[in-house]
Amino acid sequence: MSESKEDAAVKATRPAEGATGAPRIGVYVCHCGLNIAGSVDCHAVAEHAKTLPNVVIASDNRYTCSEPGQEQIKKEIKEHKLTRVVVASCTPRLHEPTFRTACKDAGLNPYLFEMANLREHCSWVHLHDRGAATEKAKDLVAMAVARAALLEPQEEAEVPVIRRALVIGGGVAGIQASLDLAQAGYKVFLVEKDPSIGGKMAQIDKTFPTMDCSICILAPKMAEAGRHPNITLLAYSDVADVKGYIGNFKVTVKKHPRYVTKDCTACGDCAKVCPVVVPNEFDIGLASRRAIYSPFAQAVPSTYVVDIRNCLGMNICRRCVEKCERKAIDFDMAEETLELDVGTIIVATGVDAFDPTALKDYAYGVYPNVITSLEFERLINAGGPSGGRLVRPSDMAIPKEVAFIQCVGSRKRVNEKGHPYCSNICCMNTIKDALLIKEHWPETKITVYYMDIRAFGKGFEDLYNRAKEHGVKFIRGIPAEIEQDNTTMDLVIRSEDTDSGKMLVRSYGMVVLSIGIEPRQDNEVVQKLLTLSRTSDGFFLEAHPKLRPVDAPTPGIFLCGCAEGPKDIKDSVTQASAAAARANILMAQGKVRVEALTPVIIDELCKKCGACAKVCPYHAIEFDKEKKEVPGVITAACAGCGTCGAECAFGAISMRHFSDETLNAEIDAITAEDACRKTVAFCCNWCSYAGADFAGVSRMQYPPNIRIIRTMCSGRVAEKMVLRAFQRGAGAVLVAGCHLQDCHYINANYQTLKRVERLWKKLEQKGIRKERLQLAWISAAEGERFASKVKEMARIVDTVTKEECDKTAQLLSKEKKEG
Amino acid sequence: MADDVIDADELDPGFKYEISKQPGGENLKLCFQCGTCSGTCPVRAINDKYNPRRIIRMALLGMRKEVLCSDFIWLCSTCYACHERCPQNVRIPELMFAIRNIALREGNIHPVYKGYVDALDGHGRLLEVGEFENEKRVKYGLPPIAEEKERVRKIFHHTRIKDRTDGKLKGGEACATEGSK
Repeated sequence: MSESKEDAAVKATRPAEGATGAPRIGVYVCHCGLNIAGSVDCHAVAEHAKTLPNVVIASDNRYTCSEPGQEQIKKEIKEHKLTRVVVASCTPRLHEPTFRTACKDAGLNPYLFEMANLREHCSWVHLHDRGAATEKAKDLVAMAVARAALLEPQEEAEVPVIRRALVIGGGVAGIQASLDLAQAGYKVFLVEKDPSIGGKMAQIDKTFPTMDCSICILAPKMAEAGRHPNITLLAYSDVADVKGYIGNFKVTVKKHPRYVTKDCTACGDCAKVCPVVVPNEFDIGLASRRAIYSPFAQAVPSTYVVDIRNCLGMNICRRCVEKCERKAIDFDMAEETLELDVGTIIVATGVDAFDPTALKDYAYGVYPNVITSLEFERLINAGGPSGGRLVRPSDMAIPKEVAFIQCVGSRKRVNEKGHPYCSNICCMNTIKDALLIKEHWPETKITVYYMDIRAFGKGFEDLYNRAKEHGVKFIRGIPAEIEQDNTTMDLVIRSEDTDSGKMLVRSYGMVVLSIGIEPRQDNEVVQKLLTLSRTSDGFFLEAHPKLRPVDAPTPGIFLCGCAEGPKDIKDSVTQASAAAARANILMAQGKVRVEALTPVIIDELCKKCGACAKVCPYHAIEFDKEKKEVPGVITAACAGCGTCGAECAFGAISMRHFSDETLNAEIDAITAEDACRKTVAFCCNWCSYAGADFAGVSRMQYPPNIRIIRTMCSGRVAEKMVLRAFQRGAGAVLVAGCHLQDCHYINANYQTLKRVERLWKKLEQKGIRKERLQLAWISAAEGERFASKVKEMARIVDTVTKEECDKTAQLLSKEKKEG
Repeated sequence: MADDVIDADELDPGFKYEISKQPGGENLKLCFQCGTCSGTCPVRAINDKYNPRRIIRMALLGMRKEVLCSDFIWLCSTCYACHERCPQNVRIPELMFAIRNIALREGNIHPVYKGYVDALDGHGRLLEVGEFENEKRVKYGLPPIAEEKERVRKIFHHTRIKDRTDGKLKGGEACATEGSK
C-alpha cells in the first residue's frame, strides 16, 4: 500500500462529496426578528445567495438559532446532501458553537460551517440605508460562501494530561491551591524560593476585617501542606526551566542546599553557638538572626538552614556541627536538580512590598521613627522583636501619637514616586493597625492621612466605622513632608486638611508609611519561563479579565494571589481555590481537546529556514538549526494564532481552518466588484473583530464600504494577502489587532507591526500612497474607536480614484511577474 | 465667594477643557486633590489666599469667573516645590501660567505684572542695566550687556501683550465689569 496512513485518515473524514467533487452549500439568512430584517432585505440576500457558485439551497427565516431554525438546517443537510453550511446572522462569537453543534448532529464536520455577520457588522451599523446595507449583506454572504467552499473537515487533537500539578510560590495562595489539589487526589509539587513557606501572610500580625491572628490561621495550613502525602514540598528551591505544553510540562527545579538534613529537630542549639549575627529578613531587619537559623517559629519545613554567604565556613568555625547532637549539619550538601513531569502549573508567586527609601520627603531610613506598615506588623506582633510592644526605634518608648500616611508608593503617576495603581489592601490594613494600637494603648492619639478610604469589601465599612468610633482621626490630605525634631526625635508633619482648607502642622512620636505592593522583581524571569504576559503594571495578565480570571493565556497555566494583581488574603485564597478547580478540570478529564486551528507544515515546500519557529510566541514549533530538518509542530502547545503561517515565505505552512486559500477567497470575493470603493479589513478575533461587534451592539453608524475578514490574530495576516487586495484593486486595506501589550497570543501582534511597516516601505518604494494601508490597535471595548477608524478609512477611499487603483494593481502585479 | 454656596447652574463644565488646551494646562484633569501641593507651597504657608489645590478644584468644578477674575492666580512664585512632589504630574506652576494666559485675555491682569511688562518694554529686560552695572561687569572681565528692547518689542508686537496691559486691546468680558478684584 503506497497510501500513507495520514492520507487515508484525511480521506476518511471527508464528507460524501467525493462523487462530484464540488461542495454543496446551504445558505440560511436570518432576520433576527427585525434586528437584521429592519435594515436589510433578507429575502433579496437569500435570492442573491442562490446565484453564488456551489450554493445548492438558500432561504431566509425569522430566527435561525431557534429550535425550528436548527432543525431546518439539520433536515436539509440530509435531504440535499449539503457538504457546507453558511448561516448569515449574528457574530460568530455568539452562535458559531450553536450551529457547529447542529451541523455535527446532522453528521457534518463542524469545521465545514461558516458564518456571515449580518447583524453586528451590517444591519445595526447601517440602520438608515437599507439599499447599501442589503448590498453589503450580499457581499458578506458571498465572502462566507467563497470561504466555505474551501473549508476542510478538521479533527480536534486530543492530548493526555498528566495528573500532577506544579505550584510556584508557597504563600497563602500557593498553599491553598496545593491543599485543594492534594485533597482532590493529585500529586502536587509546591516550590518555594525561601527556606519556609508562609509568604507575606506569615509576617502580618492580624488580618482585616475580622482581626484574626494571621499566623494562627495560617500555621495549621502550612503544617498540613508540609505533611500532606500528596504534596512534595520543595522549599528553598527555584524553578529553573519549563518545557512542554498543556498537560505535559517538563519542569526543572533547583533545590538549594540547606546544609542541614531532615534529622534536624529544630532544637535551636546550633543557633545558640553560632557567632555570626545578621539582620533577620522575616522581621525586616528589626531583629537579628544567626548564620544557621530557622526563619520563624512556625516555619515549614522546620529544618534549620545555613546562610552560606554569611557563615564563616567549616575551616574557621565548626561550632554548630560540634553542638548538634543529631549530627544533622552537613556542609557537603550540594544543589539538587529535579526533573518533574506535570500536567498543570499554578503561578502563585506573590508580590514585593514597596520600598519608600526613594521618597526623600518622608525620610524613611533617615529618621528612625518613620517605619513602614510591614515593619509595624512585626513590632505589634507578640512573636516579633519587641514582643508585641509598639516601640519606636529611636528610644524604645511607646509613642503617644502615631500617624499613618496612606498611598505611599500607590496611585502615583510619577515613576520614581511609586505605581499608578491602587494597592488595594493599604486602607484596610491601616484601619486594622490603628485599631490594634487602640486595643493595646487606648490613650494613643492616632491620625490617618489619606486621600480616599477604600473600604469596599465585606465587613470593611464596619471596621472603618469602628476605628472612627474609637477616636482614630482621619484627615483628608497627603502630607507634603516629614521633619524630625532632633531633640525629641518626634516627627512633624506638614499637610493641608483638604476638607477645611486649613494648614496643619502636627507632631507625632511615630509615623507609619502605609506602603503599597508591587510586582516581584523576578516576575520577568517567571514570565519568560512560562511564556506569560504582564500588564503595564507588571502583574501577570489573565486570559480574560472577566470570564477567565485565573487562566493564564498559555493553556494549562493558572494564576492566583497577588501575582495576578494586588489583593487581600481572602481574595488570594478564593483565587487559589479557583485556580485549583480550573487545574482540576483538566486533570480530572485526563485529556484535553485542542481546537483545530494549528499549522500543518508541508514537507515538500519547506526550506528549513526556521523563520516560523522564531515568530511562534508559544515555542510550539520545534526547529533544530544544526539538524536542518523540517520543523515539528507541538499541536498541544500551539494556540492557533497563525503568525507562523504568515511568516513562511514559501507557502509551506497551511493553517488549519484559516488557510491562505480561504482567506484569499474572501479577499477575492470582496474585490470582485467595485473594489476601488471598498476597504478590505483584517480584524483579529479577540480584540478588533470584537470591537467591531461592540460598535454594532452600540448601534454606532459608519459608512458601509468596509468588509471584514476575521482571523484569529492580526499576526495571521501575511504581507502577500495585503498585496493581493491591492493587486485586485482594493481602495484601502486595514489591518487591526489587539493593543500591543494585550495580544491574545502573547506578542504575535508585534509581527503584525513589523509586517505592516515592511509593507509601508514597499508601497512607498513603488510610489503607492502608504496611507491606503492602515494599521490600528482596537480593543474589544473600543467600539467607538473602530467606528471612527472605519470613517477614516472611508475618507481615504474617497481620495482614491479608479485610475489610482488600476495603477496600483499594475505596479504590484508587474512585480509579481518579475518575482 | 469662598463661603458662599456654589450654584451648580452657574458652573462652566467646559472650563477644564479650555485650560487643558492651553500649553501647560494639559494635565489639569489628572489632579485627584491629594493636597500634597498645598501642604508643600511656601506661599500658602504664609498667605491664606493662595492655595494651588483649591484653585485646581475650582477650575475642575468650572468656576470660571471666580478663578479667572481673582487675584490669587497671580500669587504663585513658581518655586516648583509642588511640581517636585505632585504624584500625578499635574505640572502646577505651568498650569498657573495657562490660567493666567486665559485671565489676561479676559481682561484680568495684576498691577505687578503690568509693571513687569512696562519694564520689559522699556529696557528689554526686567532689571535695568545701566552704566554702573556695565562698568562693574567689565571690571570683573564680563562682557557688557546691551538692552535689547527691539527683540522684546517684536514679541510684544505679535502677542499684543502691552496693548492688553495698557487697556488698548479689549479681551473677553468675563472680568470686564469687576476688573481686577
